[in-house]
Amino acid sequence: MKKKFWASKGAWAVFPILVVMALFVGCSGDQEAKEDETGTTEKEANGEYAGLDSSVTLRMLESGGLSGDSIEEGYIKPFTEKTGIKVERENPKSLGKVEAAVKSGQKLYDIAELSSAEMRQAVNKGLLEELDWDKIDPEPINDEAKSPYGYGHQYYSTIMAWRESAADIETWADFWNTEKYPGKRTLPDNPVLTLPFALLADGVPLDELYPLDVDRAFKSLEKIAKHVSVWWESGSQPVELLINGEVDYAGLWSGRVAGNEDGIKYTYNQGLLDLTYFTIPKGSTDHLAEVYALIREMTKVENQAKAAEVIFYTGPNKELSSHLPQDRLDEYPTSDENYKKQALQDPEWWFEHGKEVDRRWREFKLGLGK
Amino acid sequence: MTVPFTKRWPKGFGFILPLLIAIVLLFDLPIVLMLGRSVSNPFPTTEHYMYLIEQPVYLQVLANTFRLALIVAVFSIFIAYPLAYWMTKLSKRNQLIAVGIVAMSFLVSLLVRAYAWIVILGNNGIVNRSLLQLGLIGSPLQFIYNDFGVTLGTLNLLLPFMVIPLYTSMLQMDKRLMLAAASLGANPVQVFLRVYFPLTLPPLMSSAILIFIYTLGFFITPAILGGGNVSMIATVLDTLINQLAEWELAAAISVILLGVTLVLYTVYRRIEAMFK
Repeated sequence: MKKKFWASKGAWAVFPILVVMALFVGCSGDQEAKEDETGTTEKEANGEYAGLDSSVTLRMLESGGLSGDSIEEGYIKPFTEKTGIKVERENPKSLGKVEAAVKSGQKLYDIAELSSAEMRQAVNKGLLEELDWDKIDPEPINDEAKSPYGYGHQYYSTIMAWRESAADIETWADFWNTEKYPGKRTLPDNPVLTLPFALLADGVPLDELYPLDVDRAFKSLEKIAKHVSVWWESGSQPVELLINGEVDYAGLWSGRVAGNEDGIKYTYNQGLLDLTYFTIPKGSTDHLAEVYALIREMTKVENQAKAAEVIFYTGPNKELSSHLPQDRLDEYPTSDENYKKQALQDPEWWFEHGKEVDRRWREFKLGLGK
Repeated sequence: MTVPFTKRWPKGFGFILPLLIAIVLLFDLPIVLMLGRSVSNPFPTTEHYMYLIEQPVYLQVLANTFRLALIVAVFSIFIAYPLAYWMTKLSKRNQLIAVGIVAMSFLVSLLVRAYAWIVILGNNGIVNRSLLQLGLIGSPLQFIYNDFGVTLGTLNLLLPFMVIPLYTSMLQMDKRLMLAAASLGANPVQVFLRVYFPLTLPPLMSSAILIFIYTLGFFITPAILGGGNVSMIATVLDTLINQLAEWELAAAISVILLGVTLVLYTVYRRIEAMFK
């Protein structure tokens, strides 16, 4: 008799694969079934959030780590307490994930965290829903946090820090002055942060930073380049380098040093402030009212104070300073005092010029390390 | 009359079919999509390739990456070959220990190993501090955060990929061939150059190529030990994809990288054929 394929031994190898595939299909089917069940049993929350469906589970994409914990403690817990609505977190965030979710038409995230630059890219690619701020009805928050496509929920800052054993500095001009303040430096391997610092060091005032004078910035960078032993890529690097004594001065993210006592000193003076946003991926949510309610809950000052207990990054509520621990106020990036000393990042300018500046950044970098 | 199944399909084809499907779906298809992306937006266009030619900085980064990969591959030959040879001359028990030590380096995270070099060779590392205290130097020597640091770190990580295959092939070699050559009047150098070395050439070349290709895509080690002073293509791609959302440009660079790698691989196959 002729041997058929399905009677051959080889066919048995296909079998386990089919089983695994069937399991996958089965599982995803289960999930959908669960959603349907929860979607049909409607319960109503009371008071401020009357009319919301408390059986809903919102899915959130966020950064993870301490930042994710601060969102859980500060915002999700009180929100779930008041409304019964659960929020499931997934991390880490990335523009790629949001793009993939929207383009594939899958409703993966009701709400997604994006950096200011990522949000600008996402808007350009049509990946985000416009927010209706009247419906969100936020508490008083800073203007830059109330973007048409996102709620800026968290300020972070890139600042200068140094080893306790090194002389204190106050400005980027000091940071650039290697004769008066000897020692190796580290700066971000990212023109978005480093070019503004180069201009501040060259004497450009805080409020005249943008539009950036790119030529002047690179000229200023040439002066410091040979004293920079490391251009860092990951946020933990500069802290390591300071602790190990590899460098004496660093430009780094405030949350990595604020609130710690590692023998590292820092100042928010001439820091570069930026916001991280919560956005709604296009066509991704069936629970808009619930998402808006969550955003409203996030604008509340008492919640932002709770979130700031977990991580030394701060929310945009105008009253927040008076709700933070007063003895540690100068450790937060947006205490009234620190807010005034810093420049605000301009994602719009970088959206326009990012590609061109990156090319020049590469050229600059090619001349190093030889 | 129908041809029996086993004649039309190679024997055991059913076994490899799932693998074949997986490779096509997970490996080949994305590459084709990448090719497509490099000429899209708008489709079809050559503008991304034109940009790369007009703004040669990205190609220079690519060239720099190839240069470093070549250096790493060449140095790994000079280190791995004597090491593997020495290992074959040990007693059975010591061979096991030596193989264990080489293989054990796989168990240590590459991050830990990169940072270990900072502790040893950094500005504030053991070597520099010792030299400073002995008064041999006035200020710290720059061992890392440059080409040398990246080469050293990458070499350290990838060396086992050459040592193990070389060691295995040297061990399996028929020792009588060398004796035969000697009995026919060849001196030790001739025996090595005309018998021993050619026999180890295929694993040597294939692992050198492997190390070369691995180095091309290295990301973490150059980032830590290059201190951002050494431009490698992986970092550029990361920026283009995650920060600038210039996926088409990134795809075009990747296609060029793939193309050049394939050309080099062909050259290698030619060389290999010449030796046979």
